[in-house]
Amino acid sequence: MSVNKEQVFDALKRVYDPEIPVDVVNLGLVYEVLVEGDRIAVKMTTTASGCPVGNFIVAQAKRAIGRLEGVKEVEVALVYDPPWHEDMISEEGRRMLGWRT
Amino acid sequence: MIVGFLGTVIGLERAVALNKPWAYGAPLFAVLSAIAQLSALPAPWSQTFSVISSAILVAIFCFLWWHRHESYLVIIGLGALLWLVGNSLWLGDYPSFSSAGWWAGFLILTITGERLELSRLRRLSNISRLLLFLAIAVCIFGLSRTSIEEPGSRVAGAGLIAIALWLLRWDIAWRTIRLAGLPRFMAVSLLSGYVWLLAAGVFWIIYAADFIAGPHYDAMLHAIFLGFVVVMIFAHAPVILPSVMDVSMPFQNFFYAHLILLHLSLFLRIGGDLAESAPARMWGGLLNGVAILVFLANNICAVRIGYKAKEVGSVS
Repeated sequence: MSVNKEQVFDALKRVYDPEIPVDVVNLGLVYEVLVEGDRIAVKMTTTASGCPVGNFIVAQAKRAIGRLEGVKEVEVALVYDPPWHEDMISEEGRRMLGWRT
Repeated sequence: MIVGFLGTVIGLERAVALNKPWAYGAPLFAVLSAIAQLSALPAPWSQTFSVISSAILVAIFCFLWWHRHESYLVIIGLGALLWLVGNSLWLGDYPSFSSAGWWAGFLILTITGERLELSRLRRLSNISRLLLFLAIAVCIFGLSRTSIEEPGSRVAGAGLIAIALWLLRWDIAWRTIRLAGLPRFMAVSLLSGYVWLLAAGVFWIIYAADFIAGPHYDAMLHAIFLGFVVVMIFAHAPVILPSVMDVSMPFQNFFYAHLILLHLSLFLRIGGDLAESAPARMWGGLLNGVAILVFLANNICAVRIGYKAKEVGSVS
């Protein structure tokens, strides 16, 4: 049974930078998800370039996606272009942060 | 030693992020300073290396500020400057208490700057940022007077209290504490560390005349170096260690054991300092060491748990 993009995004919604109370999807850190059969490739970023939590989040993301049925290979790459900006936070993420919308 | 170790880590983190060869001079000279201190080399070697390391760290933050005018960079850069001042006093053969305050300021400002950067997600007002800068200015002014006169310690103490109250009011940890697992552990650690910073500020005010040596001085320093700084290390280790060592180290509830032990042992130690009870001070100090050993052991256990999970087929 093959995986679809929505399932991958749902899995990534369980991944957090442990110092930020918003998951990486709603924070706008996930730039691209490619599904090629049983191989998943993700491009994501961190809130600041060179942030040491980057490797931690990548490991968490790989673990979350790897638990999906039908996934055999997971590749998660950290990119910094374009640089992350607060405008990338979703409406749900802004609500989680308590921002007035 | 703790200042040197953290100076190395902070320098390395910034050098990697900057990716310029000259920036690696900061952690390199910090390591050389530590090696010189542990070896039989005369003291000026270690002191000189530490001055060079901190000067390069200041240069790194000037470079970062030149490209990104962000307020948290100013705070962390000021922290690097305080480290340079403390190291320069050390090289100048001033008594150790002259440098201790500046070194404490380096670590406090570095941590505070990082927290300000995260707290921008709370959409802080300009007034709240101004309050933090004011608190830091008061603290630095006080530090500049501590080696000269007693009121300096009181002013710096007032600054520490103001910084601690700012962190307790505005840190994003109050939101992440609602998330179970690692986010809650980090938030609890951070907030409890801010309480020790607040206590340190109170001690610096009440015991200002003792900022030289003795049990009150022990309380003044260890509330910061153990209660605030080491607790920050405990909070961030579950993220930094896996990232740096490329291992899986899943959060475990037993991490709370070393955190609680550190707090209780610090209560005992500082209680002994303030009550001038040598046995309490001694046992507290001993248990501080045990807490750090338990921290190391717990981290190793967590790595083993992560390794075993990988072996049974979890992808990581």
